[in-house]
Amino acid sequence: MTTVPQAGVKATDPLVPEPAKVIKVIAETANIKTFRIAFDEPSLMAAFTFLPGQIGQLGILGAGESTFAISSAPSGRDGIEFSVMKTGVVTSAIHELRAGDPVAVRAPLGCAFPTDDWRGKNIVLVGGGIGMAPLRSLLFYLLDNRGHYGDLTLVYGARTPEDLCYAGNRCDWEERPDLDFTATIDTVCSTWDGCVGLVPSVVEKKAPSPDNSVAVTCGPPIMIRYALESLEKMGFREEQVYTTLERRMKCGIGLCGRCNLGPKYVCTDGPVFSLTELRALPNEL
Amino acid sequence: MKFLAGENIAELLERLSSRSEVWAPRELRGSGGTVMFERWRSGDPLDLEHFASISAKDMVLPRTEKLFGFSYAFGGAAVGNPFGTPAEPAAGTPAEPAAGARTAGESIRITAAEPAGNVVLFGARACDAKALDVLDALFGQTEGKGYNDPQYRARRAGLTVITLACLTSDPACFCSSFENGTAEKAGSDLILYPVDGGFLAEAVTPKGESIIESGVNSRDKDDSAREPGDGDPETGEAASGPTLFEESGLEMPVLAVTAMVEGLEGLRQKLAAIFDDLEFWQAETEKCISCGYCTYACPTCHCFNIHDEMRGDREGERLRSWDACMFHLYTQETSGHNPRPTLAHRYRNRINHKFSYYPENQGEILCTGCGRCIRGCPVGLDIRDVLRQAVEASAGPGEGGDR
Repeated sequence: MTTVPQAGVKATDPLVPEPAKVIKVIAETANIKTFRIAFDEPSLMAAFTFLPGQIGQLGILGAGESTFAISSAPSGRDGIEFSVMKTGVVTSAIHELRAGDPVAVRAPLGCAFPTDDWRGKNIVLVGGGIGMAPLRSLLFYLLDNRGHYGDLTLVYGARTPEDLCYAGNRCDWEERPDLDFTATIDTVCSTWDGCVGLVPSVVEKKAPSPDNSVAVTCGPPIMIRYALESLEKMGFREEQVYTTLERRMKCGIGLCGRCNLGPKYVCTDGPVFSLTELRALPNEL
Repeated sequence: MKFLAGENIAELLERLSSRSEVWAPRELRGSGGTVMFERWRSGDPLDLEHFASISAKDMVLPRTEKLFGFSYAFGGAAVGNPFGTPAEPAAGTPAEPAAGARTAGESIRITAAEPAGNVVLFGARACDAKALDVLDALFGQTEGKGYNDPQYRARRAGLTVITLACLTSDPACFCSSFENGTAEKAGSDLILYPVDGGFLAEAVTPKGESIIESGVNSRDKDDSAREPGDGDPETGEAASGPTLFEESGLEMPVLAVTAMVEGLEGLRQKLAAIFDDLEFWQAETEKCISCGYCTYACPTCHCFNIHDEMRGDREGERLRSWDACMFHLYTQETSGHNPRPTLAHRYRNRINHKFSYYPENQGEILCTGCGRCIRGCPVGLDIRDVLRQAVEASAGPGEGGDR
């Protein structure tokens, strides 16, 4: 067995992850935690850049790796965050991690939201549940570059107040005068005095204008379906609507074959797609 | 063209095996006629008549391959059982672990997989060699959307392919449906054409030329890091014996013409036209039992899984293994959702990947007409019939016959 410098292995083989450590664990909901990680190699951490919408493979050597949206701010220099819902074998193992524990990371992978093309436009973000993870990164980016964008609207919903992620950020988002933020839950609840209603209908009530606007939606498939209907009803055209897809993935670099939608691979051609692009692809969601 | 006498084949393999692993087709003992590419050792018999059941793709994509090794250096708490049931903190309460814990844990050491050695594949057919060329279009890339597979490229660079031209074909063969058929040279380094008493030898690449010139492949054992397509370095080593290849005025033999599937031009559009006709795909896959044989036997199917194997609690390996798009779990998501929930969906994707998506992305058809999926299918599913019926169905109702 040949020992190779860690950075050297990565430089030549995208299937080899970088050793990293968990530096912070935030319990978001009963089954969602956000993990902030940092590469063991400080120079890698310093050189790490990504754009909102990009994904990464977070894993535990011995348990396996899974693909997650990077949910932190692209401008953040003190680590990369992944919000993980505990669902299967790998995510259950990840949920056991504590600060200081070693992980293995391959990131960034995939394509980002075309935020440069969106300059000068109003942006409407429509998120549900864990689908807020990539939108959170996008929102951080838009707020960091606030001057380049018009009105910012965020509708974020979950089933119950306890299912809403990012409590640590929501206060700030609510207070910001340059962001129209609505958090909503599905049904009336005694511990909630905010907006109640399904995400698509709340978006319709808020009725952001489609003029010079872009809408980005991510959430459970059923929410995405109705959100797309609502957006179209409100006058958003296909090319104004974006989403980011999830698929079972392994390699993350377009080789292993399973995440394709027709000829496009969600891991490399996506996960971000405009509705125009999606509708041109075989309907195999 | 040079001539290699049939009785000199063993000597050629002997010489080649002094510097490389040699893999060649032979009948498996006690198998009742199953021919496989096997590691050749001095004195082993060869079967150059029958077709190998399983393709030679594991020369470049082994059925299980180590991606890297890893170990945990224990600096603190144990890693814990990654499959255990975790003790959950109270929901919704942000947990703030102690500051500075970052250096208290263990660290990971990653060790690269052993570099690939040199291999000579002897007795491949044109369809096997072309399959390597087709795979190069994806795995051989060094740039593009992350395509970069150094392990594939190292194996490919260390591989020399000596192809045996086909003068006869089997009923399941259909390579003549594609551009060059049995005359395909892509992927081969040296082609042997059977003639009376031996073979005419045609070098396709510098690797092939060096075999004719010196009787051995001139690549160094330590040369595995070279890229495919790189020139061959002269090793300066003398051939171990007089040349085995003689001048010859013999005429080239007539190559076989196989069964054909007509109407494959414009197949991408034809497949697109029937994509949503799920009934068509259900009818085609009615007898399929989802065993995945076709994908494993195929020289171009390359889908893989990635999985970790531990040895004890501190050492392990990350491996990749052949996977199959015909398996339900291949695309099954943890939530239970499956974007390709039925056989019809999965087979539709398999056919589209081979004849539409891969050609669109890589410019090559992901099929070389070797016929292995037909010969070995336990229920007699014939990809040629599927293609013919797809062509027919895409012509629209009225023109398409019964299916």
